[in-house]
Amino acid sequence: VTSEPRSVENPSGESVDPWIAYRSMLLARRLDDEMWRLARAGQAHFAVPCAGHEAVAAGYALALRRGHDFVAPHYRDLAAMLVLGLTPRDVMLHFFARDADPCSRGRQPYAHWGSARWRIVTLQGPQPNHVSHGVGIAWGSRLLGEDSVTWISFGDGGAQKGEVHEAMNIAAIHRLPCVFFVETNGYTQSVPLSLESSQPDIVARAGAYSMPGWTVDGLDVQAVYRVSVDAVAYARSGAGPCLVEAKCYRYRPNTSNDDDSRYRSASEVEIWRALDPVLKARAVLPLADAIEVEHQVQLLVTDAVEWAQAQPSPDPSTVMEHTYA
Amino acid sequence: MPEDARVINIVEAIRESLAEELARDPRVVLLGEDIGQLGGVFRATDGLITRFGADRVIDMPMSELGIVGVAVGLAMRGMRPIAEIQFADFIHAATDHLIGEASKISYRSAGDWKCPLVVRTAYGGGLRGGPYHSQSVEAYYTHVPGLKVVAPSFPADAKGLLAASVLDPNPVLFLEHKAIYRSVMGVVPEGYYLDELGTARRVRGGDSITVLAWGAMLHESLAAAEMLAATGIECDVIDLRTLAPVDKAAIIESVRATRALCVVHEDTRTMGFGAELVAMVSEWCLDDLRYPPLRITTPDVGGIPVADSLEDAVLPRRELIASEVSRSMSRMPRSSQGSRFDAAIPVATSVVSVRMPEAHLERVLAAIEEACEAFPECNAEFTWAGIRYHPTVKIDLDLGSRSPGSTSGTVTVSDYGADATVLGLPAVRRGQTAAFRIGAVRSGSALLALSVDHRAVDGGAAGRFLELVKTKVEQ
Repeated sequence: VTSEPRSVENPSGESVDPWIAYRSMLLARRLDDEMWRLARAGQAHFAVPCAGHEAVAAGYALALRRGHDFVAPHYRDLAAMLVLGLTPRDVMLHFFARDADPCSRGRQPYAHWGSARWRIVTLQGPQPNHVSHGVGIAWGSRLLGEDSVTWISFGDGGAQKGEVHEAMNIAAIHRLPCVFFVETNGYTQSVPLSLESSQPDIVARAGAYSMPGWTVDGLDVQAVYRVSVDAVAYARSGAGPCLVEAKCYRYRPNTSNDDDSRYRSASEVEIWRALDPVLKARAVLPLADAIEVEHQVQLLVTDAVEWAQAQPSPDPSTVMEHTYA
Repeated sequence: MPEDARVINIVEAIRESLAEELARDPRVVLLGEDIGQLGGVFRATDGLITRFGADRVIDMPMSELGIVGVAVGLAMRGMRPIAEIQFADFIHAATDHLIGEASKISYRSAGDWKCPLVVRTAYGGGLRGGPYHSQSVEAYYTHVPGLKVVAPSFPADAKGLLAASVLDPNPVLFLEHKAIYRSVMGVVPEGYYLDELGTARRVRGGDSITVLAWGAMLHESLAAAEMLAATGIECDVIDLRTLAPVDKAAIIESVRATRALCVVHEDTRTMGFGAELVAMVSEWCLDDLRYPPLRITTPDVGGIPVADSLEDAVLPRRELIASEVSRSMSRMPRSSQGSRFDAAIPVATSVVSVRMPEAHLERVLAAIEEACEAFPECNAEFTWAGIRYHPTVKIDLDLGSRSPGSTSGTVTVSDYGADATVLGLPAVRRGQTAAFRIGAVRSGSALLALSVDHRAVDGGAAGRFLELVKTKVEQ
């Protein structure tokens, strides 16, 4: 079983290979299902669901140059991590906090991504401090004379922090090559968008920073891909940063420690379930292709879970290592 | 001083270092408020934008969080950013990126990402800046593993330590005391050189008390040391230079030699960095201390006030340092042998009546010397590691006003002759476990008292030891 995703080159056309799109999203969804089950069964500390954000994450990641462009990701961007270089085994090593966890070697809880090799910026807990980091990275790329773009993803909750204003303002003043990408799922854990933001469309802020802004249906991977290609091209051109808002929905609770029945109804979730982005991506494939993808994904997921769970935990004698570089 | 030695002030040394860094490494960029056209509110970056361009000397918006957050990103990208926060009082807005981010990037990614960031900031009072232009912030950041905190006190150190901070792969908070930016001058070598982070330096030698300080307080401490020297108190003044990691070896070595500690800092008292220094000394050499450790700090005042009379009332000054040190060291009399006594020694005293001829001293000394062979624990020293037995007996003979005698022996005998009272209880000296005192002779007899360090000698043994001495004297 190979856990490497198919090579994903940035196509010049307006749509992404639907086979690759479906495979990337399904892999994230199936891993997500497994992690939810394992955390609930007490076999892991913490799950951070991505279900509902697969089209958002796969769509933008497929528009980037893997290993060249930088990504300061949102914690729900599992599908993007898989497209950009992390393997299912890597993800599960991180989930189980094993010694070989490529993101943190067992130091950070699940969904705190990071890989210098794949240019995935190490992610912190307090959201969304990585927005500033992404701006600094974009600035560094320009000063170093490299044409890489920095993709900065964060939630509609994170978008409310003063941090985001300062970072967007600085990026806009200096026309830095980065894309601000808001994944609006309507909730900051339990608090609805109406109590998060005086302006329901976060993309409206783009004008305040004299940058272009686009809104996209975050349940449609092709739409996200198309707008991402445009946004990346804009940032790479030297014109400056831009803002993209992708509207989506989170199907599961905020984390394995959350109880979403306290703040939203099952019927609300069911309405959004009917718009499932993974099913939408499947619908455009011939049935035989879809079944083939599902078969491959199942093998990858089973292998990753079983293999990673059997890997050793970090040696306690290494606990102080890397406190200082 | 060589004839061509060049004397400059601290802000000039920092400016020179920044220029050398920009020239040396294309990855170095400066970012901060007013650092470009204005040259910084303290002029630390004066002229640099003209020399190196606005791409590398970047005027930033009033966004402390953004400045440090973006600088963290630049550092992660492989640049060598040097951010300036105009006043340390404003750095609180950026705390999330220093405490929560920069310090943890290496650890949380297991070394996959690094954050070689320098944040410079002007701190400290004394310039009538009021509550928001006078704060000392070192304690917040020395608490954070993964961060280094540097606080130079002299121009040459400022230059060499700034160069070392830029080269360090870790985030460094570089604290510049604004009150000494221009008032402290010194010889500074031309050209690029590196100093070493984490090393303290003795700036004045002395054997009475160790004084630890940095920044403006280092200079107040030096002035106080000058005043104290006139009274016979010689301060061993250590400039810490780096607060995290602090030079523990240098501190312990000095305290072991002076056996007294004073920390001076301008930050407020509770949980100030002095608390950590005192705790460290307590852990490593508590037994060496002759006096309780002394902290001289700004009191826990609600802010550094602006009125001359108020600010002067709270910031430690040389007169206060000198008087506090002097007062602390006079809590116990410092006779020529005062340092031989240790209040911590738990003493048990026994007394016997001994028949004494008129000229009895030689007999008593000989008897004690002989008796020590049978009771080696009475010719010894208590240490927490165990009893250390002295290989030979050497008596310190204390004749009171006639002659205080030596202080290098292994057992002490006091005989005050005509000044003697009928009964006197001797004190046990540091490094010994037994001390005798011969009382006044009355009708051919005198009371002989023996005090022992009860940790090394139990009461029964002390009694038998004393009886043996009595027997030998009366033989």
